[in-house]
Amino acid sequence: MARFSERDGLGLGSRLTEERLRPALVPTRPGPPGEVTDSGVDRRIEAAALRCITRRGVRRTTLDDVAREAGCSRATIYRAFPGGKDAVMASAAHAEIEQLLDHLGAAVERTTTLADALVAAITGATRAVLGHEAFTYLLVNEPGAVQPYLAFDGLDPVLARAVSFLTPHLEPYLDRTTARRTAEWVARLVVLYAEPGAPFDLADPDDARQLVAIHVLPGLEATRPQEQQS
Amino acid sequence: MSANESTRLRVLAATLRCVERWGLEKTSLEDVAREAEVSRATVYRYFPGGREQLVHETVVWEVGRFFQLLEQATAVESTLDGKLRRGLMFGHRAVKEHALLQHILATEPEALLAELSNAFPLIEQAVRGYFLALLRSEPLRPDVSAAEAADYLTRLFFSYVGSQGQWDFAEPDAVDDLVRTQFLAGVLAERPG
Repeated sequence: MARFSERDGLGLGSRLTEERLRPALVPTRPGPPGEVTDSGVDRRIEAAALRCITRRGVRRTTLDDVAREAGCSRATIYRAFPGGKDAVMASAAHAEIEQLLDHLGAAVERTTTLADALVAAITGATRAVLGHEAFTYLLVNEPGAVQPYLAFDGLDPVLARAVSFLTPHLEPYLDRTTARRTAEWVARLVVLYAEPGAPFDLADPDDARQLVAIHVLPGLEATRPQEQQS
Repeated sequence: MSANESTRLRVLAATLRCVERWGLEKTSLEDVAREAEVSRATVYRYFPGGREQLVHETVVWEVGRFFQLLEQATAVESTLDGKLRRGLMFGHRAVKEHALLQHILATEPEALLAELSNAFPLIEQAVRGYFLALLRSEPLRPDVSAAEAADYLTRLFFSYVGSQGQWDFAEPDAVDDLVRTQFLAGVLAERPG
């Protein structure tokens, strides 16, 4: 089982984190050293892929669909993503996740208490995920594309990324081990309560605050101070 | 057990064996009938919904057996705390060591996960009932409802049994911390001293 190094928690190792994510979540960038990759083109292709997914899902989207939507040739896509459709899809997913985390980080940064940080992380993540057009399209119409990442071993890299993201925001309040464990706990809660009809609607800050008050804060109070992990 | 029940079980067990041999997608009703040594008509009698119903009920049956084993493994513990600790350790290992489950997750996860999501509300309800019964004999925090607590414990339990995250379930101290803090701190009344 992959263990993420402590460096990831400081945000220094975001590429390190990528390297340990499942292959489907990791884009392989092309090009010999020195070649300037046009990241604008990459982003345009990824954005086009996402629009295609929102219309017909992953399986039924072809590279030609993406090329047409991006207004470029298949050759251009292959130049940017030699791995083809799989590479484009993985890269698009990765880019969306990182963008979500950027926005989430900004929201969490504005808080000044632990409870507020937790609530901001929970509601922010829930709203971003459930409001994401491509993701919700897949959840409803092509669940096989996303379910492998929400259960069993497939969930572990998602949890690990959540931990590397949230831990630094919790460290002002908690020792490192507890911060890492709490980050993972919170990520699990977002996944667990994201279903319609769940007793807590974590997109609602009041519900999120209730869940945090009932379960998370008492859990933290009951925590024995942990030794620093080396 | 009646003859009907035993035939139904025979078909379910045969389905599992076929899936082990050929995978989920490639297992046909005919394969199952042959393996169970019954006619197709017999299979349809017990599973009028055909292959779809057969696969669904086989999954529900196997998951049910998993939780039965879990219940047996945790029976030796008398407290909720003890049952959760043992349940997490045993359950996590049982998932990892379930050869058929791991094989399908590696080769054709989509079909199985779709089945498990369909079966999930039923399974969740059973586990929730189990926790609810246990909670009735424990002192709860004053403003906590047993129903909400049972729901919370069920969700969190499934999450950890399925995916270990950063935790090492072979470490009793870690499991003790996990259960005490994340599962029970918000549920059970604080013990004095």
